[in-house]
Amino acid sequence: MIGIVVVSHSPRLAEAAVELALEMVTGVPPAIAIAAGAGDGVIGTDATKVAAAIDKVSTPEGVIVLMDLGSAVLSAAMALEFIETDNPVRLSDAPFVEGIVAAVVLAAAGASLDEISREAHHAMDAKQGQLDLPVPVVASPDDAESAIAGSAIAGSVTAEETLVNPDGLHSRPAASIVKAVSLFDAKVTIADLTTGTGPVAANSLMGLMSLGSRTGDVIRISATGPQAAEAVERLRAMTVDGFGELR
Amino acid sequence: MTTDTVSLDQLVAWLARFRELVSQQQGYLTELDSAIGDADHGSNMTRGMTAVMEKIGVSHDDGTQATLVDELFKSVGMTLVTSVGGASGPLYGTFFLRMGTTAGPVTTLDGAALSAALRAGLGGVVARGKAEAGDKTMFDAMAPALDALDASLATGGDCVTATAAAFSAAKAGRDATEPLVARKGRASYLGERSSGHLDPGATSTALLFEALADTLGQAPA
Repeated sequence: MIGIVVVSHSPRLAEAAVELALEMVTGVPPAIAIAAGAGDGVIGTDATKVAAAIDKVSTPEGVIVLMDLGSAVLSAAMALEFIETDNPVRLSDAPFVEGIVAAVVLAAAGASLDEISREAHHAMDAKQGQLDLPVPVVASPDDAESAIAGSAIAGSVTAEETLVNPDGLHSRPAASIVKAVSLFDAKVTIADLTTGTGPVAANSLMGLMSLGSRTGDVIRISATGPQAAEAVERLRAMTVDGFGELR
Repeated sequence: MTTDTVSLDQLVAWLARFRELVSQQQGYLTELDSAIGDADHGSNMTRGMTAVMEKIGVSHDDGTQATLVDELFKSVGMTLVTSVGGASGPLYGTFFLRMGTTAGPVTTLDGAALSAALRAGLGGVVARGKAEAGDKTMFDAMAPALDALDASLATGGDCVTATAAAFSAAKAGRDATEPLVARKGRASYLGERSSGHLDPGATSTALLFEALADTLGQAPA
């Protein structure tokens, strides 16, 4: 599992953002290290603290670094000169809160550094979609192709279900879909037939959230690959179950 | 002319003078920063340079004081990185770290070595901040200062003359930031509204060169 470093001018901001992201993790969370403040209660950042944080949570799968703004970015870049680990480290250009949520949720789901980096980069998509701003609806080019082709490919498996949980595909159910999809050898997409949005890759947290699907919307789950049927059945069952939110 | 080199003691004196200047002008730097930034440049630089002088400025009988130029600047750079907090920490920190790497394990710098070290420092600032001429940053004071330093050395100037020329050019560069629209840093959020104010980073950089010119311009003890 990759490690996550959160760099902020303010320890309280970083702790609160991490707490929010952990709310959305169901299983074992990734290792997260915070490098915030510049010592003695000074609001600011310190490159040596960032380097120590990277070394602390580094794993062979890598580390992704999320930063707030200004000197946080400079300090994170400078930290790469001080780190001891040879494991891969990626600085993310994601917006702070969205990026942390995407990274934590996907890391917990076992995603790779490349996938997490890409998702974090697209972390604004969901918000833009909700505000009716232009948004790339599919996060991954590979999955986009198979998504388009998928509907026509013989052997693709589909199911249609109505969202019954009260809040639709918000971050927690979206995260559980991403995690479930990662367990199957299948390319899975989801489209909202009620609103006509999608399809988006089901392994993309931000893609799923960008659908803006609400309770009562009918979604179509499509999959190709060796375990397509199992994956679709699993997601269908989760949808019917309201993603565990009906209790 | 005496041997035209800058000693380790003079470099320490330069840093002490820089601390003195940023401390004296702390209020002014912060006032500039409150117009277009987050009003902490004066206090950040004062805190940083005070920490630097605590680290290097006192004579250590236990031998922990730097005896070589690269050790000195490495210590200065790392102290700024860990004590400043704002963007000037990594920027000035990188400046001194690169100066140290380029200067190497020596005890004095001649004009050419001083110029090479300062150039490397500027290169570090550019690499870190991605600033270009006219972005309204410390680059706009530092780059002309180094050009003037080199021009003076190339025409036979000694370190005293060359650093005085560098200070003049830094001041001119600082003043030229006033009408600019910021393209880097917090001030860039203000867009056109950043025009009409001196850049705080260029202003503290002018103090850095003022401190260097002051220190070398003093009659040798």
